Amino acid sequence: MSEKILNKDKWSDFVSNVASSKQVWTMTGDDTVTFTPCAEAEEAPGKVLNATVPPKNVVFPQTETLFRFMFGQLEAELPEEAQEAVVLGLRPCDARAMNIVDDLFSWDEEDTYYQDKRQKTTLVGLACNEPGINCFCTSLEGSPASTEGLDVIMADLGEKYYLQAITDKGDKLLADVSGQLEDASDNDKKAFQELAEAAEGKIKRGIDASGIPEGLPNLWEHELWQKVSEACLGCGACTYLCPTCHCFDIQDELEGFKGRRCRMWDSCMYGEYTLHASGHNPRPTRRERTRNRINHKYNYYVEKFDKIACVGCGRCINQCPVNIDILNILSKVKEAL
Amino acid sequence: MKNNGNPYIPHAATVEEAWNETYGDRCIRTFKVVFDDEEIRESWEHRPGQCAIIGILGVGESMISISSSPTEGKFLRFSVMRMGKVTKALHQLEPGDKMMVRGPYGNSFPVEEWKGKNILTIGGGIGQAPLRPIVEYVKANKDDYGDLTTIYGSRTSDDLCFRNEFENMMEDDSVSCHLSVDVEEQDWPHFVGFVPTLLMEVNPSPENRIAITCGPPIMIKFVLENLKKLGFEDEQIYTTLENRMKCGIGKCGRCNAGNLYVCKDGPVFNYATLKQVPEAFA
Amino acid sequence: MIDLDKLRNTAAETVSRDDVKHLVGWKKGTFGYRVAPCVIENAEEAESLVFSPLCAANLATYITLPEKLPVPKGEQPDDRKTALMVKGCDSRAVVQMLVEQGIDRDQVVIIGCSCQGVVDLQKVEEKFPEPLDTVEAEWKEDKIVFKLPDGEEEVARDEVLADNCLICRYPNPVIADVSLGSEVEPAKDGEDSSVKEIEDLSLDDRWEFWEKEFSNCIRCYSCRNVCPMCYCDDCVMDRLNPAWIYRSVNYSENTVFNLSRAFHLVGRCVDCGECERVCPMGLPLGKLNRKLAREVREKYEYEPGLDPEEKPFQASYRPDDQEDFIL
Repeated sequence: MSEKILNKDKWSDFVSNVASSKQVWTMTGDDTVTFTPCAEAEEAPGKVLNATVPPKNVVFPQTETLFRFMFGQLEAELPEEAQEAVVLGLRPCDARAMNIVDDLFSWDEEDTYYQDKRQKTTLVGLACNEPGINCFCTSLEGSPASTEGLDVIMADLGEKYYLQAITDKGDKLLADVSGQLEDASDNDKKAFQELAEAAEGKIKRGIDASGIPEGLPNLWEHELWQKVSEACLGCGACTYLCPTCHCFDIQDELEGFKGRRCRMWDSCMYGEYTLHASGHNPRPTRRERTRNRINHKYNYYVEKFDKIACVGCGRCINQCPVNIDILNILSKVKEAL
Repeated sequence: MKNNGNPYIPHAATVEEAWNETYGDRCIRTFKVVFDDEEIRESWEHRPGQCAIIGILGVGESMISISSSPTEGKFLRFSVMRMGKVTKALHQLEPGDKMMVRGPYGNSFPVEEWKGKNILTIGGGIGQAPLRPIVEYVKANKDDYGDLTTIYGSRTSDDLCFRNEFENMMEDDSVSCHLSVDVEEQDWPHFVGFVPTLLMEVNPSPENRIAITCGPPIMIKFVLENLKKLGFEDEQIYTTLENRMKCGIGKCGRCNAGNLYVCKDGPVFNYATLKQVPEAFA
Repeated sequence: MIDLDKLRNTAAETVSRDDVKHLVGWKKGTFGYRVAPCVIENAEEAESLVFSPLCAANLATYITLPEKLPVPKGEQPDDRKTALMVKGCDSRAVVQMLVEQGIDRDQVVIIGCSCQGVVDLQKVEEKFPEPLDTVEAEWKEDKIVFKLPDGEEEVARDEVLADNCLICRYPNPVIADVSLGSEVEPAKDGEDSSVKEIEDLSLDDRWEFWEKEFSNCIRCYSCRNVCPMCYCDDCVMDRLNPAWIYRSVNYSENTVFNLSRAFHLVGRCVDCGECERVCPMGLPLGKLNRKLAREVREKYEYEPGLDPEEKPFQASYRPDDQEDFIL
């Protein structure tokens, strides 16, 4: 697999080069950073640790048309097929998250919308040199330089980036846009590895997740769920910003004689998430919903797909307005076990 | 509409017959539908216990159990209770109207495993709708199974579903059929009392018997207690769960009761499995 | 200045009362500058309560937040009081709930804390990046002192205070069963200058400004859920039958959502700043609400959340009203 160097002053040209044949997504924004499609990029990435909203938008848009229809007709008009896309500069945790969610979207029935986009998306990750205070990817089989789920990994070596292809798709990308790239030397590779090791050492928070998936069912009626959920506002910010959260709602919309059926992100922390038409709600309070969320990520997903549905990106901890901290919850779980 | 492997695209079906089983606010209406597209009509296969998502474009969709057995013919029957936005719209359909159907979803009653066993169904109110396909299936495959007993009750005789089918079954010697209403009623010749009480009256032996129950949660609770009193083991008891559903294919994440996705691991569940999952009884 | 010991003793006494179920206050968070709302049920837990410039959360929302589950047969519902720690703006939220008869006065025991303003974490992080270890902070005249891991840092209050705190006209609780802390002077200028800046823009420029902001909204509903005045059991935005707004996220639906919420808050918003604080996308919701609040103040001489006997703004009519229609 090829290893290349890209000088930072050639970044803008590099992006334009990639954008000439594919849709490029990078982190944009001053106050709030998100991944958006952009045809050109002035600044090289790496200034911001991570986007507030993860790049799951690329393969699983917040609102997505499933099909359109005309009033009185029974024909479904499918939306256009996805374009080829490249996500430049996502962090390894977000790529691992996509890998984790892939399993669900191809469980028995293929979710054709997701698969179409996923197969046409190339992920170029940027290893983290300075993890954030709430990052704990290393507790969940990740790392600041993990290559899992990535097609190419980039590392910021100061004046230049080191790029390494991980998959054939990544190799092809580097070959196609070779205009700005030079070959990497052994020193560059060494520098990358040293940075990766150093970054791992900078991660301060974590949890020993062993025993949690197996032990959670025993804590179903434990009082800890009431304690950790008492401040929860049910605002849903944690679920929208979580790279592994994938729940969605399906709604029909009409505009005059035209209509569409679309799906949009939903949150299991909302009260109406499991509300039956009869008025019965199996998860009536925030305690049950918080318990369900943690169990879903750390137990149910493990039982079905053998992976913990959490990558330790820390967004939920950073954003929760009332400081509900998943590491705090998990340490209470470990205590109770 | 061909779906080309896209699981979210529904197919058009015409309502051949539609009639109300019950009346009033939360009335139940049964639809007999046939797919418009011949290829889909011929290639459609479902097993007793499975569900389908039916709906109307522009209004929405709802997961409803298929209450017809595949042995009955190339049509589908749905019995829908009028509750919310989608079911209200469905209730307005008359013969000749169209509805959109996609499926079949979920697991089914393990009819292969049950060969040679006696089958007992205990239903209450609308809960008979998911039980009807197994009753019809066993009747159609009499030789593969032991005896068939059905116990069915509702609050009043006006709330009984499939009334005429049950009257026929009472005349049929090959089926042991028992009906009940909760309170005394003029001209009601059968049992008066709650379904769990009728179950004790019928006193079925647990010997080589499978019990399947579906109905309001309070009924299920007492039926389960009584089945245990009669000596049924957990593995002999089956029930169906329901939950709010959207995608029907295990992607949207909302129908799970504990680690069980009702749309994929269910809706048919063995009681022994459910006992491990506290949320199943929420 | 608040005496922390007095605060904790008061809390301990209050929560030990027979007629008080629990007390909602603030406690130290799990990292950095965070402070978490907490519910305490006995006097020992009162030791963990804090009150500092980091206590931004408006606890009034916790009166109406707990879900009312059906009571099992034979049991009586637990209708003991909820004790609440409130700052100035929080107390106005409680008063507004009383005005609307959303709660009863005897449902709550109010412990009022005079407040010199809470900090905007974004402004603080620009000066001192958030450390992992928890930070304590306190007011010191016209400065805020942060006890960071590397040492104490002082910074001028005006540089780090939240936007709404800089123009706070009611820093002392307007209703309280117990008052703590010495009285604080209201801000000299009670008007948000940024509202005037937007008003001075042309109509096209104003549309452009808000179009950019509302396009960023991800409809997580954090603003609605954190708002103490949004306590409707059945929010009109959640209704699907009829669907007043669609759940799909785009500029059009987002605009309807945000503007509807702003109008539902006319004459009710107490400018506690929570909506702006919790928005993950940084929407300037405070500007919208302050603009409408100013209109109500100037045109109708009405300010919400001050007098529990007052009639609600959107639900009252005066026979001597100049207009010939009700509104």
